[in-house]
Amino acid sequence: MKLTRILIVSFLVVIPSACSSPTANTSTDATPNEVTLLAYDAFTPQEGIFDAFTAATGAKVKVVTGGDSGVLVSKAILTAGNPEGDVLWGLDNTLLSRAQKAELLTSYEPVDYGDICVNYDKQWFTSRNIAPPTSLEDLANSTYKNLLVTQDPVASSPGLGFLLGTIAHFGADNWQGYWKSLKVNGVRIASDWTTAYTIDFSGSSGKGKYPLVVSYGSSPPAEVLYAEKPIETPPTAVIASTCFRQTEYVGALRGARNPNNAKLLISYLLAVPFQESMPLSLFVFPTNQKASLPDLFTKFAVAPKNPLTLDPADIEENRDAWLSSWRDLIL
Amino acid sequence: MAEFMERPHLVTRTKTLFIAPVAFLSVFFVAPVANSILRYFHFSEFSNVLGNQSLRGVAWFSLWQAVTSTLLTLVVALPATWALSRYTFRGARLVRGVLTAPFVLPAVVVAAGVLAITDSRGVFPILWAHVVFNVSVILRIVGPRWSMVNLRLEHAAATLGARPSRTFSLVVWPQISDAVISAATLVFIYCFTSFGVIAILGGVSRRTLESEIFTQAVRLGNTETATALAVLQAIIICTVIFIARQSSRPNSTFLHVSAPQPLRTKPRHRNTPLLISATAVVIVASPLLATIYRSLVVNNQFSFSAWRTILSGSLPALSVSPQLVIITSLVFAIIAACICVPLALLVASSAAPRALFSLPLAVSAATLGIGLIITFNTSPFAWRSERWFIPVIHAVIALPLVIRALEPATRAIPTSLRNASATLGASPFATWVRVELPLLRPALLRATGLSMAVSLGEFGATSFLSRSGSTTLPIAIAQLLGRPGVATQQAGFALAALMVLVTVGVMSRA
Repeated sequence: MKLTRILIVSFLVVIPSACSSPTANTSTDATPNEVTLLAYDAFTPQEGIFDAFTAATGAKVKVVTGGDSGVLVSKAILTAGNPEGDVLWGLDNTLLSRAQKAELLTSYEPVDYGDICVNYDKQWFTSRNIAPPTSLEDLANSTYKNLLVTQDPVASSPGLGFLLGTIAHFGADNWQGYWKSLKVNGVRIASDWTTAYTIDFSGSSGKGKYPLVVSYGSSPPAEVLYAEKPIETPPTAVIASTCFRQTEYVGALRGARNPNNAKLLISYLLAVPFQESMPLSLFVFPTNQKASLPDLFTKFAVAPKNPLTLDPADIEENRDAWLSSWRDLIL
Repeated sequence: MAEFMERPHLVTRTKTLFIAPVAFLSVFFVAPVANSILRYFHFSEFSNVLGNQSLRGVAWFSLWQAVTSTLLTLVVALPATWALSRYTFRGARLVRGVLTAPFVLPAVVVAAGVLAITDSRGVFPILWAHVVFNVSVILRIVGPRWSMVNLRLEHAAATLGARPSRTFSLVVWPQISDAVISAATLVFIYCFTSFGVIAILGGVSRRTLESEIFTQAVRLGNTETATALAVLQAIIICTVIFIARQSSRPNSTFLHVSAPQPLRTKPRHRNTPLLISATAVVIVASPLLATIYRSLVVNNQFSFSAWRTILSGSLPALSVSPQLVIITSLVFAIIAACICVPLALLVASSAAPRALFSLPLAVSAATLGIGLIITFNTSPFAWRSERWFIPVIHAVIALPLVIRALEPATRAIPTSLRNASATLGASPFATWVRVELPLLRPALLRATGLSMAVSLGEFGATSFLSRSGSTTLPIAIAQLLGRPGVATQQAGFALAALMVLVTVGVMSRA
């Protein structure tokens, strides 16, 4: 009986408020002085970082998120010309060409970068007196048999980055041989980053069986910042020679309702205050040379001078063929 | 007299009421899906898909793992359903709550729990996770009907010398079979379209049609291939639903059910129901306990810090506070239930054909998501980024399940009761309020609980919709588990554990 009563009361309370919200929303939509930033779910900027923008321009920033970068870009392409917002955050070099083909953006700029690198569990290697691997070649060495977990490159962006890194390093004709030897050496393919890092990897919360994991060059500082109890140094480290560069872009969407505010917001995202807030809120490096890095980043994050890279057009042209030949090799 | 006899059931008489669920589903489901299919479906791509060897393998795996999962779920769930709808014992409500809780959990949480115990991957953990997820479906749909099977019939059969097995097959089964078939169909569909569990527990070589649709649409940008696969999947599911409906028809006219039977406290074999319930709880609850464990223990040390964070702190890995996430999810669940349960009741009590209302089960979340964002994109229907849109879509997704949860109960109400009430001068409305609603009350409560559970746990379509600040629990858990840092991940497990506890709490009452 109690539950029935609660349900009736909530019915009476919730329905009117739910019905009133659309009208409230449409009225803000009609306000010209607003700008909508579309981003992936993991876009968690520093709190209050847009206050300065609103104070300077009078425009309110509405952050709209939905899905990971793949979902975000697919949605943006399906709605190209009639976008859900004004500015798109979250295109990276593996997705850029797809967006260009769909004429998604009127302009775009690199806004941040980071690397996809193999991370290792420091304690696992020291306690066994084994030197951690230092190169991609090492990972196929029998000393490191059954130690590496990576992600499905079809479903996961770090997985794709690692595959592209091996293609950049070994060349378009030889990477298949490398992957064959990785397979022989017991590489584990997890479905996504979360499974690999929080379940299989031994160096983080899951205490899994694999001391080597494909993750980011900025994962070690995140381990310090979000440690359960304060720690001085991260339990994990990065193998710099395995790093594949991932650059993220911010762009103005074609057909945006507030194109002028979009331009203003993009300049704001590229200016020093926002760029300096990114390392500890988004765990990426600023593209603006004038932005300085926090201590935690200079000490523990890795972004090699000469990372592995591939041309976005090259990626777009070959991605499907690479992925299907990877699938044939591994599955 | 004739006048009274002809006075029909309220809902059938006022056919206008049936327009509400039809209109709701047409606007928020049929239109967007049709739009998506019209735009992206090509026959040439469809025949390509049918001719593709590896995709045929994917379809075959989807099918056999779903059939096996469904059978195993029935084996675990039916005895437990019998125990819980016939007997009451200390802790029976808790058992019911525990068995329902996994239904709301994100796949990654259940999979992590199963993995923590099996420590291996492959088909067995997949089947186990599917059983964990789906025991609740059988319990919630078959339970209300089983508790309405008149005990006197069973006693009569026993008195006439029938053994328990014979009593079951001749007396009980005919009266519950349509509910069992309906629930089993649902379980089959959920397993057939499962993909989070399979991706995590099966590894990359195990794929289902649903995961392939998502990969093609989102990862590879091949919307045409994805749509062709989605149509193939819908055809298979609709066929299964059709066959199931056909086979469950004949029994419904011979029902002798009555008001929920009093639960017995002293069964002859006292321990059997207890033992059966305990087995089901062990199978289902161990992944839940693993979740709670990971929210409390880190580096072999016990700590409440993750719980403190989600209940009163803030998390930089979320753009909103965890408390707001909890409130948002609960409000969405209540709104979805307020929309879904009344509409489902209208459908379940009407005699009109309801095949339309099974359709949301057949359509992949990616297809619906794509349809929604390309349909509700122009004023005055530019709803795709509206906050209220999310619970409305949750209601669409919950509708088939909730209708099935109500149907066994509504179908079981004998026409003679209504006629008697009418003969005594009650208006159709009075009959509905004073005769039918009290009989339906347990089923309605369970349906409300199920609707809330669907809304709380919904991930696929929600993650496709754009949101401004309205992060729901499964999305927040995915975000937290998607970041490095022990504290962040522990907070993710704490949110999942909170979902478990809240669901156990709600479900053991409803």
